Amino acid sequence: MIGDTSILFQIAGIGIIVAMIHTILKQMGKEEYAQFVSLVGFIIVLLFVLNSISDLFQEIRSVFFYKG
Amino acid sequence: MKWFGALLIVFTLTWLGYEWSKKLEQRPQLIRVLKSSLQILEAEIVYSQASIMEACHNISQQIPSPVSGFFRQVAQQLKHEPISLYDIWDKETDRFCHSVFLSSEEKEIMKQFGRTLGQHDIVQQQKYIQLALTHLDRKLKEAEDMNYRYGKMVKSLGLLAGLFLAILLL
Repeated sequence: MIGDTSILFQIAGIGIIVAMIHTILKQMGKEEYAQFVSLVGFIIVLLFVLNSISDLFQEIRSVFFYKG
Repeated sequence: MKWFGALLIVFTLTWLGYEWSKKLEQRPQLIRVLKSSLQILEAEIVYSQASIMEACHNISQQIPSPVSGFFRQVAQQLKHEPISLYDIWDKETDRFCHSVFLSSEEKEIMKQFGRTLGQHDIVQQQKYIQLALTHLDRKLKEAEDMNYRYGKMVKSLGLLAGLFLAILLL
């Protein structure tokens, strides 16, 4: 069902590292940078899964409307 | 090959973070040496009443490496070139601050101080040295604070940024 598992590990790695950077920056009192880093991490992951999400929408549309 | 590249990226960024933290450590040390050299200069001027050239020469022999080069250069140029002290001081300060990690504020303090050097009598000169020392004291406290706050953060941030980039490109 899931074609490629490596992207999952990649996203997990990015998540862990962004969380660590966030913690360190927050500890040092740079909250605004911490928020910014989290946002950037989220956007990068979103770019990664963009194709999969578009596939998902196509799938849903073909299920409900019969013409994709 | 892919793993080799990833390792290279991690290693490089860790190293960059390490270098940066070393610079942060270096700055308060440099300011401390600058301060002690100004104190020596004060003693030379007030007590032994030496000329600037002799004083700079003596200072360069008493303090550790990067700052001593600066005073040696000033003494040598004063000996060989007949231009004004301020021009020499200005040029050497520029070159010195370019080669080590000092902010433009320290540079400005040293330049301001150089402008007063040799323009006044002993009592006035002593006051100007005290003024420069006070400014440097403030900067020293600031640099120590910076080092204490960001020294460790920069190191771990380098490693994490390296891992992040490696995973991103894998």
